[in-house]
Amino acid sequence: MFDLETAIRRWKKDLRKHEVFEDGLIADMELHLREAHEDLKERGLEDAAAFDRAVAQLGDIAAIAGEYRKNRITAFNRRAPLRPGRFMPALVLNYAKTALRVIRRQKVFSLINISGLTIGLTVCMLIAMWVADELGFDRFHKNADRIHRVFRDESVTRAGSASALTSPPMAGALKADFPDVVKATRFGTWRKQLVSTGDRRFNELGFMHVDPDFFSMFSFPLRRGDPDTVFAEPYSVVLTESTAARYFGRENPLGKTLTVNNQFDVTVTGIAADAPSDSSLTFDFLAPFELLLRENFGEDIHENWGFNSFFTYVMLAPGAAAGDVNGKLKGYLKKHQPEDKDDLALQPLTAIHLHSDLGHDIRGRGDIKYVWIFGALAVFVLLIAMVNFMNLATARSATRAKEVGMRKVVGAGRSQLIRQFFAESILTALLALMASLILMELLLPYFNTLSGKTLLSPWRGQPGLLLGFLALALVTGLVSGTYPALYLSSFRPLRILRGIARPSGSSLFLRKALVIFQFSLSVFLIIGTLVVSRQLSYMKNLDLGFNQEHVVHLSLHGRLLEQYDAIRTRFLEHPDVLHVTASMALPTDIQSTPGTPEWEGKDPTARMEIKADFVDYDYIEAFDIPLVAGRSFSPEYADDMKSAFIVNEEAVHRMGLKPPVVGRKFGFWGIEGRIIGVMKDAHFQSLHQKIEPLVFKMYRPWLRRIYIKTRSTDTAATLRSLEATWNGMNPDYPFEYRFLEEDFDDLYRAEARLGIIFRSFTVLAVLIACLGLLGLASFVVVQRTREIGIRKVLGSSTSAIVGLLNRDFLKWTLLASILAWPAAYVVMRHWLQKFAYRNDLTPGTFVLAAAVALAVALVTVSLQSLKAARANPVDSLQRE
Amino acid sequence: MISKTLMAASTRPIILAILSRSEDYGYRIIQTVKEASGGAIEWTDGMIYPVLQRMEMDGLIASRWKLSAGNRPRRYYTITGEGREALAAEFVGWRSVWRALNRFMAPLPAAEQ
Repeated sequence: MFDLETAIRRWKKDLRKHEVFEDGLIADMELHLREAHEDLKERGLEDAAAFDRAVAQLGDIAAIAGEYRKNRITAFNRRAPLRPGRFMPALVLNYAKTALRVIRRQKVFSLINISGLTIGLTVCMLIAMWVADELGFDRFHKNADRIHRVFRDESVTRAGSASALTSPPMAGALKADFPDVVKATRFGTWRKQLVSTGDRRFNELGFMHVDPDFFSMFSFPLRRGDPDTVFAEPYSVVLTESTAARYFGRENPLGKTLTVNNQFDVTVTGIAADAPSDSSLTFDFLAPFELLLRENFGEDIHENWGFNSFFTYVMLAPGAAAGDVNGKLKGYLKKHQPEDKDDLALQPLTAIHLHSDLGHDIRGRGDIKYVWIFGALAVFVLLIAMVNFMNLATARSATRAKEVGMRKVVGAGRSQLIRQFFAESILTALLALMASLILMELLLPYFNTLSGKTLLSPWRGQPGLLLGFLALALVTGLVSGTYPALYLSSFRPLRILRGIARPSGSSLFLRKALVIFQFSLSVFLIIGTLVVSRQLSYMKNLDLGFNQEHVVHLSLHGRLLEQYDAIRTRFLEHPDVLHVTASMALPTDIQSTPGTPEWEGKDPTARMEIKADFVDYDYIEAFDIPLVAGRSFSPEYADDMKSAFIVNEEAVHRMGLKPPVVGRKFGFWGIEGRIIGVMKDAHFQSLHQKIEPLVFKMYRPWLRRIYIKTRSTDTAATLRSLEATWNGMNPDYPFEYRFLEEDFDDLYRAEARLGIIFRSFTVLAVLIACLGLLGLASFVVVQRTREIGIRKVLGSSTSAIVGLLNRDFLKWTLLASILAWPAAYVVMRHWLQKFAYRNDLTPGTFVLAAAVALAVALVTVSLQSLKAARANPVDSLQRE
Repeated sequence: MISKTLMAASTRPIILAILSRSEDYGYRIIQTVKEASGGAIEWTDGMIYPVLQRMEMDGLIASRWKLSAGNRPRRYYTITGEGREALAAEFVGWRSVWRALNRFMAPLPAAEQ
């Protein structure tokens, strides 16, 4: 019995054999079939016959399917071709995901990359912070651009000489005589002051004196007190917050009294914020300048134009040009002191920290040269790290070529691939940034100790700095990703996938160049380190010509001076005390005296600058200064106190005196006398300076420091017992001593610091370069696996293979050294010029640096090549 | 008997012409053609559907499902603006062909004999 539905179901099943018949199409045809079937039945056909007829009329199913297929192809060809947009945000996440995947999958390479970049970024960031701090010195003052310091240009009397010190009347006179100078202040001190209140007493170095304009010129905010009236009374003082805390704890210090040198009292009239660490002016106390002059010198000093002992700062009117004022300052001194040939000039406040080379300047200044050196160092280290990145990424090209091919075949455009590779490099740089921010946090305290700064972590309220670092990381990522991105994305997919091209060969030259560049920088830094440390040890070990060991010194001021003889006698009673003596200046700080001394047989036109110090008996003995002629000061000769001079050989030489020198007439400052002894030249000054003429004279009223030379046995015990003696005699003054050796170390602090910093960065730079070398070596080894296998099978020994693999690297390192030599020679010779006494450059240093680089490279590369050479050749050959 | 090529070439204009009068569905289009041509044009029924699909792809016609009076779903086709333009163009073409054919088939004028 015919059943229409069954027949239709069967018919549909036939249709479905052709995949092109989708459900909609089948429905179309089914409806058609049913309609035709009905029509045919109406015309009198049997049910089954009508169905058969309808199916026949519908035609050949395969032919219909063919037509539909043609439509489908047309539709496919007509669809809009897939054209990637310029920027597809949806892909960004994908770039990052893929990049992370690549980083994760290639663990060793990623580790080398990220750690290299981390070190590079950390170094760069630390130095950037240091440089920013140096360059930002004194810029926090609102009027920084208008404030200048007056200095004396002494080049008329002595070529190239200039001094930061000016005389007391200067500030007032300039303000009165030049309309452009709207404000002026002196800044200075005379010596340490003993400040006391109740049971608290400290010897204060930072007791500075200024004029009332001070607070309206500089931006040192007052926490308490009125800036206009704090100095209304001469016996007033402004304390910094930390000083106030030191003396008064939490009490309100305003209105309280402090006793100075046990001689006079000052009243606290204001509290100033502590001077920031980037201020060239530092102070703990600020008192009226008036007070300094009144208490130390007497009224006539107010008009003494020759007493150049203080700094003078002026503030110009808005818009006034320092150049114009400088022009008018020419010859100004002569108006007040006809015999004074020096000129005055202005130095911008902001130039003092880095650009000043004046004599008698503020201690602890920076040097623009070091800013450049460290800046260059930072760039170098970062460059090395970037080169690593490029190098490794390119080296990996063989591994990634297939990936690039696949991506291109699937439809990735070159620009998308470039973006992908940039995503990888930027992501790597960002990971490195995170790591280096952590690392920096850990290193900052050490770096601060090393650099003598108090840099704050960028997390503490320095969003600008953090943004800067982020930018630095992005730039690092971009720069180091540029080459790999352009290079890798340029592969032709067909050639790679067919295995025709091994893309790494063509880039070998560039990679070699990069490695050579890296190692050149490393060798350069190694040479720098060697030269700096050799110069340092040279200075440390040089026989200074006197003995500074086991000497402590104490301040001698106020009423102590009257007790000097008693103290000396009591100290000398101590069995471990060898000598007790005194002088005006520290040996490291002996100053030149103005004018030329007089001597027997002097040519009236002769000029000689001489350094002079006033000393006491036993000075020559305490410091072990050898005498080449004559004798030392002695109480046995009554005239010694008045008219005896001891000069050094250099002075004799410059005066042109022929032996016998002893007994010749000599004099300066109007003091006349005779030379009683000639001492051997000794390096009292830093080794930056040549030994200059020097004279010692006795003059007790001006002794300021007392020196105690002890036996080397138990210094601590000796000092304890001396302190007990001191306290027994001088309850008013604390026993504050310092080792003379510390003062001598201070002379080379900058160099010592430079040495340590140089060394640390060199180690880092070499480390990064080694990481790069390691990566490259492992790549080369992988590339030559088959060759190594074949060589081993043919009987090559492990050592021969290691030699073969190492040879190239050694060649590059050697070439790098040779390239680095000239640059290092020029730069280091320039640096050494700073020292009058120096350890000259020797070829040995250069060879040693190259040897160090070679050795390091050898060890690094051998790690890889040994592994490869020891491998079983069967494994490697099977794998290939 | 109409040749296969002519049949293929005429399918589209004929369908367009039918649809230009009113919307219609596949089965009836075939019946209309058969009746109007007095059985001279007889399409294989199934072949019309790929043609209609292709014409729809080309934007000449549009389709929608509709329930007919007998509550039977049918896909109705309508002509689009583009379809009308195409129809006009086809008509001009066919008329030119027909005129040319007609002219050559006519007896030659007396002057030329």
